[in-house]
Order: sequence, then structure tokens, then C-alpha cells
Amino acid sequence: MSAVDFKKLLDENEFVILDGAMGTMLQGMGMKPGEIPELYNIEKPEWTEKIHRSYIDAGSMIVYANTFGASRVKLASSGKTPADVIPPAIANAKRAAEGRAYVALDIGPIGQLLEPSGELSFEEAYDIFKEEVIAGRDADLIVIETMTDLHETKAALLAAKENSDLPVLCMMTFEENKRTFTGCAVSSAALTLEGLGADAVGVNCSLGPDELYPVVEEFVRWTHLPVIAKPNAGLPDPETGEYHVTPEEFAESAAKMARLGVKIFGGCCGTDPDYIRALCRKLSELKYVKNEHTIPAAVCTPENTVVIDCPRIIGERINPTGKKRFKEALKSNDIDYILSQAVEQSEAGAELLDVNVGLPGIDERDMMIRTIKAIQSITNLPLQIDSTDPEVLDAALRVYNGKPIVNSVNGEEKSLKTILPLVKKYGAAVVGLTLDENGIPKTADERFAIAEKILSRALEVGIKRENVFIDCLTLTASAEQAGVKETLRAVYRVKHELGLKTVLGVSNISFGLPHRELVNCNFLQMAMVNGLDLPIMNPNVPSMTGAVRAYKLLMGIDENSVDYISHYGNDDNAPAPIKIVNAENSLDLGGAVLKGLKSEGARMTAELLRTTPAMEIVNDILIPALDKAGAMFESGKMFLPQLILSAGVAQAAFEEIKKKIAEESGEPVVKGTVVLATVKGDVHDIGKNIVKVLLENYGYRVIDLGKDVDPQRVVDAAIEYDVRLVGLSALMTTTLGAMADTIALLKKNNVNCKTVVGGAVLTPDYAEQIGADFYARDAKATVDVAKRIYG
Amino acid sequence: MPEKITVSDIDRDEAFRYMAAEGYTPEGALADITEECEKRLLAAVRPVYTYRVLPIESKDDSGVVLPGIVLPGKDITELLAGCDNAVLMCATVGAAVDALIRRMQSEDMAKAVVTDALASAAIEQVCNKFDILLAEKYPDRYFTFRFSPGYGDLPLTVQHELLGVLNASRLAGITLDSSGLMLPMKSVSAVCGMSGSPLERKKTGCAFCRMKDNCSFRRKGVRCGF
Repeated sequence: MSAVDFKKLLDENEFVILDGAMGTMLQGMGMKPGEIPELYNIEKPEWTEKIHRSYIDAGSMIVYANTFGASRVKLASSGKTPADVIPPAIANAKRAAEGRAYVALDIGPIGQLLEPSGELSFEEAYDIFKEEVIAGRDADLIVIETMTDLHETKAALLAAKENSDLPVLCMMTFEENKRTFTGCAVSSAALTLEGLGADAVGVNCSLGPDELYPVVEEFVRWTHLPVIAKPNAGLPDPETGEYHVTPEEFAESAAKMARLGVKIFGGCCGTDPDYIRALCRKLSELKYVKNEHTIPAAVCTPENTVVIDCPRIIGERINPTGKKRFKEALKSNDIDYILSQAVEQSEAGAELLDVNVGLPGIDERDMMIRTIKAIQSITNLPLQIDSTDPEVLDAALRVYNGKPIVNSVNGEEKSLKTILPLVKKYGAAVVGLTLDENGIPKTADERFAIAEKILSRALEVGIKRENVFIDCLTLTASAEQAGVKETLRAVYRVKHELGLKTVLGVSNISFGLPHRELVNCNFLQMAMVNGLDLPIMNPNVPSMTGAVRAYKLLMGIDENSVDYISHYGNDDNAPAPIKIVNAENSLDLGGAVLKGLKSEGARMTAELLRTTPAMEIVNDILIPALDKAGAMFESGKMFLPQLILSAGVAQAAFEEIKKKIAEESGEPVVKGTVVLATVKGDVHDIGKNIVKVLLENYGYRVIDLGKDVDPQRVVDAAIEYDVRLVGLSALMTTTLGAMADTIALLKKNNVNCKTVVGGAVLTPDYAEQIGADFYARDAKATVDVAKRIYG
Repeated sequence: MPEKITVSDIDRDEAFRYMAAEGYTPEGALADITEECEKRLLAAVRPVYTYRVLPIESKDDSGVVLPGIVLPGKDITELLAGCDNAVLMCATVGAAVDALIRRMQSEDMAKAVVTDALASAAIEQVCNKFDILLAEKYPDRYFTFRFSPGYGDLPLTVQHELLGVLNASRLAGITLDSSGLMLPMKSVSAVCGMSGSPLERKKTGCAFCRMKDNCSFRRKGVRCGF
């Protein structure tokens, strides 16, 4: 079935009818709980054929082949592969259909969580789905259903689009709070999946039809694609496992959804051919209601849809340009530093983050992938992917979870030809820079003309109008004073004549001038008045973020000043001057460490650095204070959270030291390097991370390999960084074996290092048994081991 | 439709016990952090649970047979002595809590540790509320305490079947990773016995726990509550 045939099916029928449950029916015929339903495709082909036929007789126009769990992960225990069970499943369905109905390859979730919560990488998930898509090439179309993780759904949809030409229907499973179990919002699902090229989107399973009504209502607001509803027959009874909504009730509820604009209907758990029959009967009385909602310009992560309906701050700090500390972090693979920049900006008020990790001498593509994954694991702000390299953009768009912005395309032919198809393929929004082969035009009218050109070219490749944002380009006021007005006029025209959203990098305006903040702030206000939607700026400057909040208040966007008051109503949150500590009561840095006073600790360190060498601060103040905290912890006078608070102060102090060293291009303070990893199969890494914080604050460099780490990676890192100590952590008895394997592999490779092991279930005896050199019962003990090795 | 379980405040005493700081009332910087962590945790917590009541088909020293699942081991057989039904349950405070703890680790490790312990207390509160709901739903029945895979000789490997019978991934969003660990992390799965007549209280406490020789709680002179 081609996309054209699918469109024909939609056009020729008021409503399209899918089938009902497969598992419920197989159980009714005698399948036992715990059996793998897909094996019945081979063992009892006549059963599935009969089920399909009964659905088609009841009115189903599309039936799902019995392949929901046919991934290699779910089939693993059976010894069968997707290639074994999928083709017979489709053949059975086609025999039943005899041309009366279309047969869909049914793709369900893998059953294991993707990173960052689980172990499965996006790339592995793609691969698993690809195998199913290829095995199912004889199907007429593909359905992806019962998904709770948007990233997993994206992997499946990409696998379907890239390995077949069949139409793809995408359904996720939502709860009453209109979110999936993993927290994905309806708006984010609709925006992302439509962008990636699904042919219809919607919801299945989870709840009964009445509970799903509000979810479907929300879906219809966020897409112009045909919307699908395939609910359960209610919720199962805990004692009997049975569902209680009757076919007639089910059909009545479906009719209500039809009035919302739903086009495609079916049933999930607990439904049978009677439900489909009732559905067909009821829907035959109704007409399809075309969905004509206006879809707003918006970008998203799974949990967070940001509608561009007023000025929204794009944080600019994740960018090495002009930042020595950031460059240093990129060169040393210090993702944690990049994450700290993400956290700081989101706390300061950024609503989106620009991500630029381009630096000569590093693998930008690899760094971009890792940075996006890491940032998305700790914040839900949508990202603006900022690179000039199409390969980097492609890789980034692939792994991004949600709908991002691409920064940027411009009016040059080469740029239009390479960037726009990527934006279209991955369903992103794009920033168009108003420059071309001749550079940046002087006048607003010329820039407007380039904006028009970018828009028309974007529309040509199928990018929707609301996904094109225009950057009219800020020039430096000190060099080209007359250019400021041109920029502002261009913004005004693009916003009001083309109706597009606008972007501007704000800070450039003041380059070379004294008191830059004053100029930036005023320019920002002028730009917003002229129609700027997305200022790219430093949100950590309170006056700049304050200017955006004040603008929203004055324009009546921030109704009743709620947002403004919540930020400034309480004195503590107002941009206050730094407190001057009374000399008599003042703490020293050591005291701040012991008391867990982070910002004071950082401030004192910065002051001390003016007069004291960095190494002296580390050796004479920070480490003795940490030692004291450690001793208090060991003697029970201090508890774990307090010890870590102290370490956190030392961490803030170290950050000041690193900043200073980066500015002076000096050598970093490193007492020795330690490789840390939570072993293969274990995703509980908080213990390892506690150890890391402590080690770093004693001046050790930590190569953190993360969680679920393959033994070979530990060996490779130990060799690459030539370390004398490797720390391994495991939380559960089930993963202790992986710890033993890792140590064995280190020994087998004759890696010249010691090992220290720890974790909740570990004992000194077991540590010895698996050949570990040291057992550490807590984070403090690990530091003691490091001291023994490195001094 | 099962009753909703909500959590409106966190049992801080319990949380500090998990941090091996039993009886400690936070002050200074730690008090501020605890306050903030509790607030943010409560915004992230979204309790979900599901359960099945299944008849016990047979039991002997090697384990207990229920429809669709065998629970192996002596301990579970002892637990279910005198019971005609077993209640299988699982509950979670949700994936957003995992995300919050992850985020906290980038913000401030101390916040992460405190939130982690508060979240452990929260899932325990959810389970306790489940016990109450169950007792309310079956007022004439008696229940044993909850027993989880990994307790005594009930192996962790039974998780797969247990969560399968509960249809946990669809009904509660709980899955297992390749090592049999539950995700979201702050989740509990358990079995308890149901009987028509009063049950003798089973032995609990450190002496009966297989962790007793290497327990971080015992080292600090406190107990986990088993």
C-alpha cells in the first residue's frame, strides 16, 4: 500500500476501522499466560487466521498481524527471530483478508527502557525496529503502538520510514493526566511524530474510551494528521483480569470522539469482534468532522512543549566562542561542566538552550551527540542545535528527543540545498539567517527579501510556515550604528508582513562599547517591541532576563503579573547585590566547607585566588576541611548528606580555581587520575557519583565512564589514561558477576592498575574473592584508597 | 477503576533513616535543601500501582503455585501458610522521580542524595497506603506482610514472571532491565498472603535477613524496617 492508497482509503471512507485485541482472543482460544503470542503464528496459524477473519467480518478495514512483541528482545527466550515469526504472521493475516482488508505490521515497545533511565541506546533501539520492519516488508502498512517513550517511538518511526515505503500509523499510550508513564505530553507526541512523517497519529490502550476522551481532545488540537483512537474496554478487574465496558458503551463513547474529529477507530485490550461490529454500526450514523484547529508554532521535548506565542529566552552559554573555560571542557571531554551550564541557564529563566560544541581539533559530531543526550537527561528545555556542519546537524537531529530548532540555514544556495531537507526529514523548526552569497545586506528591505526566499524554499520542501523562524542579524552598534535601525525594521517586517517568528542574537550589539549590559538591555527591549520572539542571550544576567519578564508584564502577556511577582515579589529572588559579610562574623573557606555553604565558598575562593596560589588553597584549606568532614562522618558526627554538602562546597571552590587556571592558560590541578564505572547491567549510579564528587574535590581527575559499562570500555580507559586506580560500583547481587568479569579482563590485559570496589551488596570477602585490590565501604573510604595510591 | 493513591507529604524520619541518620533533624544548609527537595519531589511523584488477587493452586517446600506463576523457595511457602489467595502487587512513584534525581546530580549531589532517600520513603508510603486500601476492600480477610523478590530465598529472577502476570509495563509503566532491576527505580513489587482466618505474625527483623552480615544500616547501628 502506498501513501496514495492510504489517502484513498481515508478519502473514500467516512471513518477507517481497525481491529480489536489479539492477545485477549488468543487467550480465549487457550493460550496460557506467559506464553509468547507470536509463536502461535507458526504453531497455530489457523488460530490467528480465524481471529483476523472474525475482525474483517465484523468490519475491520485494517487488521494487525500478530507481531506486537516480535522484537528480537522479546523473542530471545524462544530461540526464534523476527524473520521467523513476522512473515508467517503477515501471511496468516493476508489469507484471512483475501483482499477485503489491509494487513499491518504491528510494532510494539521493546519492553526495556531506553537511556537515560534504562540501558538501551537510541541506536540499538533503531536497529531492533529496523529488523522488524525488514522482516515485515510484505505488509500493507506499519502500525507503531502502545508506546510510552517518545524516544523509542521516534526510533521505531525512523526505522519504518528509512527501511520501507509503507504508510506508518503511530500510537502512544496515555494516562488520565494526559501524559504517558514516561511523562510524554500529548502535544509533544503530536508535534514530534507528525514532524517525523507519520501518516496518522493517536492513542491506544491505557484506559477505557471515556477516560481517553480528554487525551483525544488534546491530540486533535496539535495535529492536522488523521487522529486514531483505539481504547481498551475499560480497565481490568484485579481479581478476574476481565474488562467491563460493553460493546454498546464502547461504541457510544467512540461516537463522542468522532465528533471531536477522530478519523480512525479500533479497540485494544479486552475488545473483540462484537466491539468492532458495534463500532461500525454506531459510526455509520455519523460524518467525519474535519479538524481545522490552527496549530501554533512550537518546539518540544517529551515533557515540555514550548509555544512561541511571546518572547522566550534562548540561552546562549553552551558555546565555546570566547570562553576559555568552555573550550577547556570540550577538549577534556568534561560533559559535567557543559551540564552545569545547562542547569544554571534553566534556573536563571532560559526556556530553550542553544547548543554549539564546535571547536577545531575535536570530533564535533561525536561531542554533539553526547552533549545532546546528556543535556536531555537532566533538563526538559527544548534545544536549538547550532552547527555549520550538515553531518553534525544530521546526527544531532537523529538523537534529539522531541522537536528541536536548527540553527541555521541562510539564503546561500548551498545552505538551502543541504540544510532544509534535513529540517524536513526530522520535523524540526529552523532559523533562517538573512544573509546570502553577498554577505549581510545593509538594508532591512534586502534582508526581508532573503527571508522571503528562505520561506518559499522551505515551503517547497514541505516545511510548514510556522516552523520557519527568521534571524535578521544583529550588527555591532559601535561599528555600524546605522545598521541597528535596519535590523529592527527587518524584524518588524518579517514579523508583521510574513507572519513568521523572529530570532536575534542580542549581545553582539554592544561589542566594543563600555557598560555593555546597558546597551544590550535597551536593544533587547527595542527588538521585542518590534516583534522579536526568541532572543538568544545570556539568561544569567539578571537585568536581561528581567527585561523579558518586564516586557511580558507591560504587554499584558503575563496576566495579573503572576510570573513577574513570583520572581521578584520575594526579596530573596530579586537581583540583589552580593552580601558583604561582617568581618567579625566572617567564616573562612574551611568553615564554609564544613557548614555546606556553597555560594559563600565559591565567593571566598574567588577572593583568595587574587592573593593565594591555587595549589595552596587546595592543599592548605580545602583538603584539610574535607578531611575534617570525613573524620566527623566516620565518627558519626556528620551524616552522608552533610558530607556531600561539604564536598559540594569544595566542588564550587574547585570550579573557581579551574576558571582562573583556564584564564591564565595554566596547568590544571591534578593529583592523579581515577577511572570510575558502574558495572555492566547496573543503572544505579548515584553511589558512584557520590564517590566521584569526593574524589574530584580531593584534587583527583575522574574519568567517569557512567553506568552499565562494558568491561572492555573500562580496560580501554584504564590504558588510554594510564591510570593507577580503577573504581567499580555495583548495587545488586545480580550485577556482581559483571564486576568480577571487569576485574578479570583488566588482569587478562595486564593493565597496570589497582582496583577498588564498592556498592550496597558488596562485602570485603566478596571483593577479595573476585580479585579486587581494595574494598571501600563508602565514598570516604574510596578517597583513602586513592590517597594510598597517589599520595 | 482502582482507588488513587496520593502522597502529600514525605516521611522525613524514614528518609533520614535511609541516610543512616536516624532521629536527626536537619538544620542549616541541610534543612534548606531538605525543604527544597521535598517540594520538588512532591511535584514529581505520581504514584501508580496495580495488583492481582490469585488463588493458591498448590504449595510445598519448593514453592507456591499460582495461575501463571510459580513463586519458588521456602520463605514464600512459610509466608503463605494458612492462606488461600496470594495478592501480587507492584507500585511506583513514577519515571519523573528518576529524572528529578538525575537532574539533581548535576545541580548538587547533596540534593540528589536527600531526594533519593525521600523518594525511597515516598514509595514505602505508597505501599503502606496500598495495604490500607486492600484491607478496606476485603474487610473480612486477613493479610500477611508484603514480601518482595530478593527477600529471603525468593529469588530476584522471579521478577520477570511476577511483573508479567501483573501486566506491569502496561498498567503501571514498570519494566525490568537486563539484570532484572525495576525501572523506574523507585518501584516495589511484592506478594502477600490473604486468608479467611487470623494469621500468626511472621518472623521479621535482622536475624532473618540474608543481608545481615553486610548491611549499611546495621553498621551504623540502625535498622531498615524489614
